Amino acid sequence: MIMTERVFIEPQPTSETQTFWEAAKEGRFFIKRCDACEKAHWYPREHCPFCTSMDTKWVEASGEGVIYSFSIMRRAKPPYVMAYVTLSEGPTMMTNLIECDPVALRIGDPVSVAFVETAEGNALPMFKPKAGAVR
Amino acid sequence: MSEAQLSNALSGAVAISGVGHSDWIADYAAVRGGTKPYDSFGYAALAFKRALEDAGIDKSEIDGIVSGPPTAHERMCEVLGIDPNWGAQADAMMGIQAAAMAIHSGMCEVVALVYGNDQRSAAVNYGGSNAAGGNAFLSYIYHAPWGFTSQGALYAIMLRRFMHDTGFTEADLGQVAVAQRLHSSLNPNAIMQKRVTIEEYLSTHYVTEPLHLLDYCLINDGGVAFIMMSAERARRGKRKPAVIHGIGRHDLSRDATSLVPRLTNFYRPAQKKVAEQVFNMAGVGPRDMSCLQIYDSFSVHIPLALEGYGYCGYGEAAKFFADTGISLERGLPVNTSGGHLSESYMQGWNHQVEAVRQIRGECGARQVPDCRYVHYSSDVAGKALSIIYGH
Repeated sequence: MIMTERVFIEPQPTSETQTFWEAAKEGRFFIKRCDACEKAHWYPREHCPFCTSMDTKWVEASGEGVIYSFSIMRRAKPPYVMAYVTLSEGPTMMTNLIECDPVALRIGDPVSVAFVETAEGNALPMFKPKAGAVR
Repeated sequence: MSEAQLSNALSGAVAISGVGHSDWIADYAAVRGGTKPYDSFGYAALAFKRALEDAGIDKSEIDGIVSGPPTAHERMCEVLGIDPNWGAQADAMMGIQAAAMAIHSGMCEVVALVYGNDQRSAAVNYGGSNAAGGNAFLSYIYHAPWGFTSQGALYAIMLRRFMHDTGFTEADLGQVAVAQRLHSSLNPNAIMQKRVTIEEYLSTHYVTEPLHLLDYCLINDGGVAFIMMSAERARRGKRKPAVIHGIGRHDLSRDATSLVPRLTNFYRPAQKKVAEQVFNMAGVGPRDMSCLQIYDSFSVHIPLALEGYGYCGYGEAAKFFADTGISLERGLPVNTSGGHLSESYMQGWNHQVEAVRQIRGECGARQVPDCRYVHYSSDVAGKALSIIYGH
């Protein structure tokens, strides 16, 4: 059987997210942190969602997180795993889990970032189970 | 201002005096057969005509119009042939709230709320990269590059976390589809009338695991309309009115795009506020409700609403299903028409029709005996809203 190759919708960078997508192409995972209240947020915004300060700056995230929840997209061709992952910096983001056995995944499992390239050369931060993770 | 002090002046002030809708079963068959009975305006106009007949009033009495989201307001008024003194474009719940305020404040006296949607024949996609303005609109579409392009994925991710946190199971969730099919089997207007067993539910395929096929609402064409006026005026009319004793709303917009309100607290903070608003306003509580109508784009809305509005404690929905029950056979009936899963997907509008008919006592085989109060809740699109209907 020939596996259908997954086709990604290309990201559409905006003034708020251009830096994020450029960094992603270099394999770097950027998030925004607020200088006024020191909280990190996702998705990247010019105004801090917590204190409305405009003093937000880009910081490179650790790329570490844990699975908050996930769903296997059974009707997609090919199927894939949508997931909501809580980053060690605090925010939780919508992403995919890759390089995994979907039925073996558990909420709370530690994961780390891995970039997947799209047809047009963009890169999407996704997450894979940490090697040797003890459940 | 505390929740208890909000909008008490509206309690008992307004009522729904007439309801109408299109022929959901015939239109569903027609559309599947490749024909299109009406466009969205046509479905709405048919429902409007039937609502006027049901209320026993003449079109000339209408001086306010609420048109649903799919249909342009000015065009709707043109199609209906009405030049109103007041109007709004709103979904079912926000429309009822706005109409109640407009009537109570004297902006107008009799409001027709009309909704038409050709979503099936027009192949409307409530997901995908072009939904809701596509990448130009910052909603869950923001996550389209990762393949997060459907409402189903959102509710599936929420459900898995809810199951993890509370011990709720897929078989527990299946009780919703089973109960609502029992109800729709007693409803001559329902599109899906075949009863299902829990085994049949569990054997249907996953769409977005852990959501099964029968956890999803229908997609069908149709229209719904209702007539609102002061309760005093409605009581002088030919039909028994469904009086609004409580109505309330609370939004969760912060971090909406990141999906935090839905995924990390299941809308509980909003439901808690709205429960205080509507139960205080109506002077009743969950134990006084004869049945519930809950917006059910997905079955998982039901356990979350039962917990969120205080019918049971957090994490106790499965126990409530088992000990009390949610069907006409046992316990507190939920979605007595079959709801969006089995009757018709009219985006909250058909739930109001069912609430009115239950209050009137005209539901035949699915009538809740001695129906005194009906609680409607919707928890979608960043908003928790509720109505308490009564006599």
